[in-house]
Amino acid sequence: MNAYEEPKTMTRVKEQPPRQEITITGFGGQGIVLAGRILGKAAVLGDHKQSTLVQSYGPEARGGACSAQVIISEGPIHYPYVRHPDILVSMSQTGFDKFIDQLKEGGTLLIDQDLVQPQSIEGDFFSIPSTRIAEELGRKMMANIIMLGFFTAITGAVSVKAARDSVVSSVPKGTEEMNSKAFNKGYDYAVALLKGREKKAKGRAGA
Amino acid sequence: MGMGRGLKGLMKKGHGDMADFSIILFLCNWGPHAAFQALQDSATQIPPEIKMVRIPCSGRISKALLFKPFEMGADGVAMVGCETGTCRYATGSSTAQKNVEHTRAILHLLGLGEDRLRLKTFMPEDSEPLLQFLRGFCDEIKAIGKSPVVPSPEAEPPSQALELTKEVVAAHDIYACQDCGKCSSACSLTLVGKPFSPRAIASNIISGNIDSADVEKDIWSCLACGLCYDRCPSAVNFPEFIKDMRYILKKDGSRGYLAHGGFFQSLMRTMTPKDLKVNHWDWLPDDIQVDPQSKTLFFGGCAPYFDIFFKGFLGVQTSDILVDSLKLLNFFDIFPLLLEDERCCGHDLLWSGDKENFLKLARLNVDAIHRLGVEELITACPECYRAYTHDYPQQGVKVNFKVTHIFDLLEGEISKGAVGFKPFDRRLTFQDPCRLSRLENRPELPRRLISRLKPIEFNEMQDRGGGAICCGNSAWTGCDSYSKALQVKRIRQAHSTGSDLLVTACPKCQIHLQCAMEDPFLGEELNMDMMDLTSVLAKTINWE
Repeated sequence: MNAYEEPKTMTRVKEQPPRQEITITGFGGQGIVLAGRILGKAAVLGDHKQSTLVQSYGPEARGGACSAQVIISEGPIHYPYVRHPDILVSMSQTGFDKFIDQLKEGGTLLIDQDLVQPQSIEGDFFSIPSTRIAEELGRKMMANIIMLGFFTAITGAVSVKAARDSVVSSVPKGTEEMNSKAFNKGYDYAVALLKGREKKAKGRAGA
Repeated sequence: MGMGRGLKGLMKKGHGDMADFSIILFLCNWGPHAAFQALQDSATQIPPEIKMVRIPCSGRISKALLFKPFEMGADGVAMVGCETGTCRYATGSSTAQKNVEHTRAILHLLGLGEDRLRLKTFMPEDSEPLLQFLRGFCDEIKAIGKSPVVPSPEAEPPSQALELTKEVVAAHDIYACQDCGKCSSACSLTLVGKPFSPRAIASNIISGNIDSADVEKDIWSCLACGLCYDRCPSAVNFPEFIKDMRYILKKDGSRGYLAHGGFFQSLMRTMTPKDLKVNHWDWLPDDIQVDPQSKTLFFGGCAPYFDIFFKGFLGVQTSDILVDSLKLLNFFDIFPLLLEDERCCGHDLLWSGDKENFLKLARLNVDAIHRLGVEELITACPECYRAYTHDYPQQGVKVNFKVTHIFDLLEGEISKGAVGFKPFDRRLTFQDPCRLSRLENRPELPRRLISRLKPIEFNEMQDRGGGAICCGNSAWTGCDSYSKALQVKRIRQAHSTGSDLLVTACPKCQIHLQCAMEDPFLGEELNMDMMDLTSVLAKTINWE
């Protein structure tokens, strides 16, 4: 596996709150629950925090809206359900519509830009064409891993190393390299996006 | 070129009390020579460092001739002509002004200093002012000091051309040529009607015919584009063979069919002294951000010299490629290191038979880069890229850093996402650089970037990619009417795509195609805007 080089400029080094609640939503089959599991594992095994995962499936597994609720905390977690997430990740329109009202005020919204049309919301959000990138990489099913890379760089809720290690140890044997590449794609996209925003804010959008 | 040999005699060290300094005085036959003669007639002491060359008109001393003494170690050059308005040939004085101005700018970049070259005009009766000028100039040159340039040794080893040729023929297995003619049917030069054939050269050389003037001319005419090698069923590597044959011919005293009076070869050789402090970058705009601590180096190439040299004629602005490359790097927050005394990569010296000086340049560059601890070198010039990735290692100069063409870097950065391109209101076509598209076999690389742009449309020319028609010349050799024919053919192809902007990826493609557009008869028909791909990218790239 190629050693992945950390980008030379880390764009976001921000203090993390002691407890973060995250909801990931999408269609059944997109790997939403797996993404939640990888996230929780990263927090626990990599970052030595505590984490819970509540997964909702049922009819969702046949293609409806499905969600994974993850809590990452430095202290004990007494109640695992997420009612008002700090971070909402949406990979489908129905998931977005169903959960957007729960997002905390000032919370972070991450979406797949080709699958979600964020209407009637105020404030900023972060979008990535994760499914399209996955298709370009040759496997549409890796969109969730790309989203995880994106999530890691944008939110900093888990460390990069922990998240990448967790991806590699959670995916089927033989696909580690490909998934690691997908993770890096999402991560790089976020770094580029943040850099672009920073430059735009300074009024230097072009070369 | 006769001038070069004459100068050699002039610049030999004198006896005993003669000074070490050498100052060449180009003196116009018409006005100032009378003044000089009056000094001689009255036995006035003219500084002994000054070696006079009597010339018919200062306007006939080209930039190549003005520069030649510096290549040969002269410490100063004074061009003394007639005042504008008194020129015997009307425009000589103004031509001389331009030539001196441009050569002075090049001497500045080169680090020899523009003050080593002076232009002054005198009337025939001005003998006293002339004397004062010569004495003053002599003192100024002494104050500047000796030139760091040491001329190449005069004595050439005795010729072993025939034996060497046998070795080269064997090494490249030229005997494998089946005389099938596929090379001639592909050769760009043959196709524009030049009586030139790779297989004929091969068979002439195999039969020991290297002294023939035609063979010599053909060896210098070859574009070394490699299309014949691409088509050869026996895989005879003709460009490499030509490269080695030029080396042998050069050793054997062939002066080569150098374009522009051999100016660029002179320039490259003048960069070989170690003590020369080149000012390669001091013209760079202030808004470019660089970082002397960076481990990433941007290697620019010779574009700044080209722009000065062609200023009065083509008006090309190839140093835009360097500026726009740096802007693109800055766009991605890459702040590279620049090699302050960057020298020519030597590519063209190698391809015009001067392996010794090529090696000197290669070692100077690589040593300087190693000293800075550089991990990655980025270049936008396909020839520099070829030299660093291919020619240096092949000629035994080890490179301990990664070499990246800027297109590769940009493709990587852009594909990370969040970057888009503004609409570009032009119809584009693309001229392939031979070093990247054919010799490195990467025609897809610039096209991937072009496909990201948002022009009105992009249309390929009939001959493209590895099979593209050459811009007409390589390594500043063998330029003739067939080179022009080739350029005309190429530009007509570009026009027939319906495009209004010819995108290039090598400064020389721009220079050579622009040259054809200056043609007094065809110029208007051929004229077409050109822009380097890096400039198009820099102009339209945008954070989304």
